[in-house]
Amino acid sequence: MTRALQAAGPRIAVSSTRTLASIGIAVALAVVFIQACVIVQARPQDLVTGVHGMADIINRSLPPDFSQFAPSLMPALETVDLAIFGTVFGVILAFPLAILAAHNTAPSRPLYIGARTLIGVCRAVPDLVWALLFVTAVGLGPFPGALALAVHSVGMLGRLFAEVIEDMDMGPVEALSLTGASRMQVFTHAVIPGVLPSLLGISLFRFDENLRSSLVLGFVGAGGIGFYLLTAMNLFQYQTVSFLLVLTFVLVVGAERLSAFLRSRVS
Amino acid sequence: MTMDGVISFAGGLNAPPMPSGSAVAGRVASPRLAVRNLTMRYANGHLALDRMGLSVEAGEMVVVLGSNGCGKSTFMKCVVGLNRPTGGSVEVSGQDLAALSGQALRAARMPIALISQNANLVKRRSVLANVCSGTLGRHRTLATRLGRIPKSEIEPSLSFLEEVGLLHLAHQRAGTLSGGQAQRVSVARALAQRPHVLLADEPVASLDPEAADEVMRLLRRLATDDGLAVVCVLHQPELAVRYADRLVGLRRGQLQFDLPAGQVPMQQISTLYVS
Repeated sequence: MTRALQAAGPRIAVSSTRTLASIGIAVALAVVFIQACVIVQARPQDLVTGVHGMADIINRSLPPDFSQFAPSLMPALETVDLAIFGTVFGVILAFPLAILAAHNTAPSRPLYIGARTLIGVCRAVPDLVWALLFVTAVGLGPFPGALALAVHSVGMLGRLFAEVIEDMDMGPVEALSLTGASRMQVFTHAVIPGVLPSLLGISLFRFDENLRSSLVLGFVGAGGIGFYLLTAMNLFQYQTVSFLLVLTFVLVVGAERLSAFLRSRVS
Repeated sequence: MTMDGVISFAGGLNAPPMPSGSAVAGRVASPRLAVRNLTMRYANGHLALDRMGLSVEAGEMVVVLGSNGCGKSTFMKCVVGLNRPTGGSVEVSGQDLAALSGQALRAARMPIALISQNANLVKRRSVLANVCSGTLGRHRTLATRLGRIPKSEIEPSLSFLEEVGLLHLAHQRAGTLSGGQAQRVSVARALAQRPHVLLADEPVASLDPEAADEVMRLLRRLATDDGLAVVCVLHQPELAVRYADRLVGLRRGQLQFDLPAGQVPMQQISTLYVS
């Protein structure tokens, strides 16, 4: 009996320590959340009092002005093309960088660190900021937006590509190296066929994300539907705004479905 | 099959007719693979191989037995040039691999093909493309660097696939094959390399008994009919006894025995696995 109590002693101590730790973690999380509410000046009552304003805007937005269909086709195409340009150039630049940034394919340590840093910088700076930078460099229009998407995509794709390359099955690579194949041959015959489906899937997913980003980029003067939307907002043409939102919804969902379909075909 | 604790060489029903004894009479006198005093001490001081010697002639199949960590894998890696031994020599067709490095080593190890436990095929490519990729070392052209397979190797590769009994799967994706089929394709890829020496590192470890038998029969036939020197690391003494000309026992990096398969007492094999 005494021995049983002695054995239970440390167990009780351990469980009470755990309970204390759990309470501590819960309190810490609550503190973090409360400070977030304070800092963002969360005032739920404003949502209630502001409901009239929202209802007014919705009322003025309906019905959507479908006569804007023809004039919005060109901006819509511009938005899609921004995403295509950004994705294609992103992939073209990210792939070689990813090879240098994957530890199992990097030819040397300095190149590995350089590639990782470059990818990190491209990713850390948001596409909106890249767009502002490129607008100051090449002026207003879709081109700075396309460049911004390309550069930011290099950051996002470079990291994901490098992860895919690092996770690939190295068995075929070793097997081909032992047959006397050169580095380049091993790369084209074992590495590329091994990672290509994943890379295509990631690129298609990136296209879908770039399309959504390109809508926002219009707000900073990078063309496309975003710019059209901003102009309509400034002119209080809410029916045009609501139509453009419908169009945006169709574009985004369409791109999502297309990208998901193509990804399923690839895999 | 067992007489006074000695396993006879005749083996099971599926065993093909085999020459008895160690050396195959009437074949080339100089060994295809000659390993002398091979010693490997790792950087941490562990002596993985201690003055190991092995000689394999054309047409001969040698099976290396031993427990995990006895030095079998180190031995294979040293022979194929993946590890640089700290002492001794590995002569393949008269050239000492242990003394070479870089491009010279890559060229010199072309006559050695290695089959691993996993088939290591590129799963998304066709079976034929996988077999052809065994020939890349001999075709360093721009086209092959860009991922094309050498056209002149398609016909021979098809014949290698026929040799392993999988010609009908030539255009199928490698990822769709069963374990046994994939391993046979890896044998065909090794053959496409036109090796003199075929090393097999636990080639049947992940296969069911039937598939394992098929792969072993194939290796045996390649030694007997094509005159390859085959060195195979196995964990299954019964398969070893059934298919090998000679058995080599390794324990703690040292050679315990190197005898014709029919002359190794089962007891002696068991001692390899006693910790």
